[in-house]
Amino acid sequence: MMLKHDFLLALRSFRRNPILTALMVSAIAAGIGAAMITITIYHARAGHPIWWKEDRLFAVALDNRGSDHTGEELQRHPEYPPDQLTFRDARALYRSDIPDRAVMMYRTGRVVDSGKPGVRPFGVFARLTTADFFPMFEVPMLYGTGWARVADTTPEPVVVLSKHLNDKLFNGANSVGRTVTLNGRQFRVLGVVDTWMPQPKYYDVTVGSFDVAEDLYIPFGWSTALQLQTWGSISCVTPDAKIGGFESLLTSDCVMLQYWVEISGAAKLRRFKQFVDNYTLDQKQYGRFVRPTNNYIVDIPTWLRLHDVIGDESRIEAVLALLFLAVCILNTVGLMLAKFLGAAPITGLRRALGASRKQIVRQHLTEVIVVAAAGGVIGLALARAGLWAIRVMTFIPGPDDSPDKRALAESLSHMDYRMVALAIAVSLLTGVLAGLYPAWRIGKAPPASFLKAQ
Amino acid sequence: MEIRHMLSALWRTRTGPILIAVQIAIALAALVNITYLITQRMEAYTRPTGIDIGNIFWVRSISYATDYDHKSAVETDLQWLNSLPGVIAAAATNSPPQTWWGIGMPFSASPDPKAVKEGARVYLMTARAIETLGVKLAAGRTFSPESVAPPTADFGAALQQWAPEVVITQALANRLFPKGDALGKPLYIGLVNKSAKIVGIVQTLQAAPISGPFEKFGNQVVVAPITPAGPNALYVVRTQPGRRSQLMAQVEKEMADRVPGRYIEQLQTLTKTASDTRNGMRTGSIVLGVVTVLVLAVSALGIFGLAVFNVTTRTKQIGTRRAIGARRFHILRYFLVENWLVTSSGVVVGCILALVAGVIMSRTMQTPRLPLYYLVGGVLFVWMLGLLSVLLPARRATEISPAVATRTV
Repeated sequence: MMLKHDFLLALRSFRRNPILTALMVSAIAAGIGAAMITITIYHARAGHPIWWKEDRLFAVALDNRGSDHTGEELQRHPEYPPDQLTFRDARALYRSDIPDRAVMMYRTGRVVDSGKPGVRPFGVFARLTTADFFPMFEVPMLYGTGWARVADTTPEPVVVLSKHLNDKLFNGANSVGRTVTLNGRQFRVLGVVDTWMPQPKYYDVTVGSFDVAEDLYIPFGWSTALQLQTWGSISCVTPDAKIGGFESLLTSDCVMLQYWVEISGAAKLRRFKQFVDNYTLDQKQYGRFVRPTNNYIVDIPTWLRLHDVIGDESRIEAVLALLFLAVCILNTVGLMLAKFLGAAPITGLRRALGASRKQIVRQHLTEVIVVAAAGGVIGLALARAGLWAIRVMTFIPGPDDSPDKRALAESLSHMDYRMVALAIAVSLLTGVLAGLYPAWRIGKAPPASFLKAQ
Repeated sequence: MEIRHMLSALWRTRTGPILIAVQIAIALAALVNITYLITQRMEAYTRPTGIDIGNIFWVRSISYATDYDHKSAVETDLQWLNSLPGVIAAAATNSPPQTWWGIGMPFSASPDPKAVKEGARVYLMTARAIETLGVKLAAGRTFSPESVAPPTADFGAALQQWAPEVVITQALANRLFPKGDALGKPLYIGLVNKSAKIVGIVQTLQAAPISGPFEKFGNQVVVAPITPAGPNALYVVRTQPGRRSQLMAQVEKEMADRVPGRYIEQLQTLTKTASDTRNGMRTGSIVLGVVTVLVLAVSALGIFGLAVFNVTTRTKQIGTRRAIGARRFHILRYFLVENWLVTSSGVVVGCILALVAGVIMSRTMQTPRLPLYYLVGGVLFVWMLGLLSVLLPARRATEISPAVATRTV
């Protein structure tokens, strides 16, 4: 009852001062809009793609750098080991049976020939990986399964397709058991991955922390059999590492594989860490691992932090937008104060007619919260429009884009219900923050002081 | 003057002015640091590339047949591309310029393994590379067509047969040979343990518009006469002005079928490539710029609002002052000076904020410290903004008639 009365009084006050009210609403709307845009971007980049398993999954990085490494002094964190492993080290660690699961992998590419008349062959990114990839990262399967571990050492002509590739080749039908032609060689389809796009792409951040998953998964055994080159990044980290043909990559100190383990239990993890350190210590006798032992076996949040997937850009944006919101709130406080004091004679009259101090404060606070809520609603719309504009600016459509790419652009600027709830909470909080002082000030004033001036 | 009265009047209604001063402080800190950040980026992406971007396109073919012969494909393609009317020159390359992808390797001026090494971007290209990119030679010549190493099966093997001659950029020459005697000297190539004679120095050839601590890697480039490895091929083609789109259409239509077992995966103007490469930086700068402008606008609005409020509540006093002899100019001056005092107190706090933010940003991003003239410019700008925002209400104050003093409001 009283609330309704307060609300009507607020509306009346807006009509008295339409320009001032519009200014306040637009200041709050702009502040909330900008803050929500940058918080949404930040939130998307700071995602936890597999949070339920964060205590069991660990990335492995070994410090096999030589005594000096070109450009190292320029790096922000020269103390971090290289983010990938060499072929020989990955294979050596893979022999350990301490982890429940282990994955070594890298990105490569294949040309798919659909065999359909009139359809030209096309290239796709492929992930060359060991069998544990699918259970370890909990890849959702639409049809079929991954392969057995035996295919990791002896190449078996089997593959797993992405949903997008399966749509393209088999019109989305269950293709398990059918064959695909990759660079002139036949492979049998074992499974099809359902829509899957963890962001950040934590399991391989070397070619961009936010990327779509590969369209094809090939058993690791094919790595040497087909001499598959990396289509990711490769870095030679000792001064005497020599780049040569594929064979030389198998023994040189050029890192190109991602390595992950799944380990449950602290004791096991300690044992595995010990195993890895012992391995690198042992390698010293061959003149490798010349630096002090510096191996990282870290969980996903740490791994993402080491690679700074959030990035300076979105951090600066978020800080700037929050400062902007602060400026908008301060501004609203100023304008509110001016408005309330301007209408003080009316308030004084109400007080004189018997309104209590509490009622006055409540009435004014209601007015501010209505302003803030209106600003919040407009701000949400502004944020949506802004995110849309950013999406248009950053997503460059290509001739043959996988739907995943569009989905990626959208997921990085997507406002989910949590963001909307946050926006509403922030706008109400803004209203309370902006209104508290002016409402208190106006409530405190003795009624006579305002009446006198009349 | 009236400053003392002004200060005491300000102090009595301090809430509004303090709020404005805080806004000004934040606005100044944001303005200065974001402007500096955007300027650094703009510098990186508007810096001359040295490349004839407007007349170049590139085309990438992917092979799928097991009997595809990369060596003969590259020979056929290059011969054909170079024979097309309207083409100035065409060359095979391992990566198109103006992208983030490519090879980086360490180089030094001496065979000593302890010698200073400099990282540089490496382009493996065929004959007429310099002409194809349209870059200018500052000294020497381009590498001879005979020195170009033939294609290999993989990229590591391609690097192993490093050719006897290289062309490098002035930026790399200056780093490795500070005396300016790079031409004719051997260049030692890390990771493959070879050396090659520097036969030419290119004025500018920007690989990518990198900003920040790695900026130099965008300009330190080595062009090596090595045919890039198969089985996929990438060609850069430079056309006569105005003929690019016509030639691209022709290449798209005719090139793939000239060699069996491959298809054209991508055909793109270098203009688009260069613009896409800069896209991320541009979007970020736009977002930051827009928010900074908003901060300034809202602060200006706050000043304006406070001034309007002050003029309204002081109507009677202003009228009284006018009635007892104050000129319009004095009223105007009062508001301008009062506003300047408020703005300046915000500016003082803002300078401290800006410097602190500047130090934090240069630390984390490893960029040079915020130059002080940005701060000076920012302070002047904020003063101007403050004056402009208060001008309109102050003008309105001068129009208050002295007769108001005699009336009750």
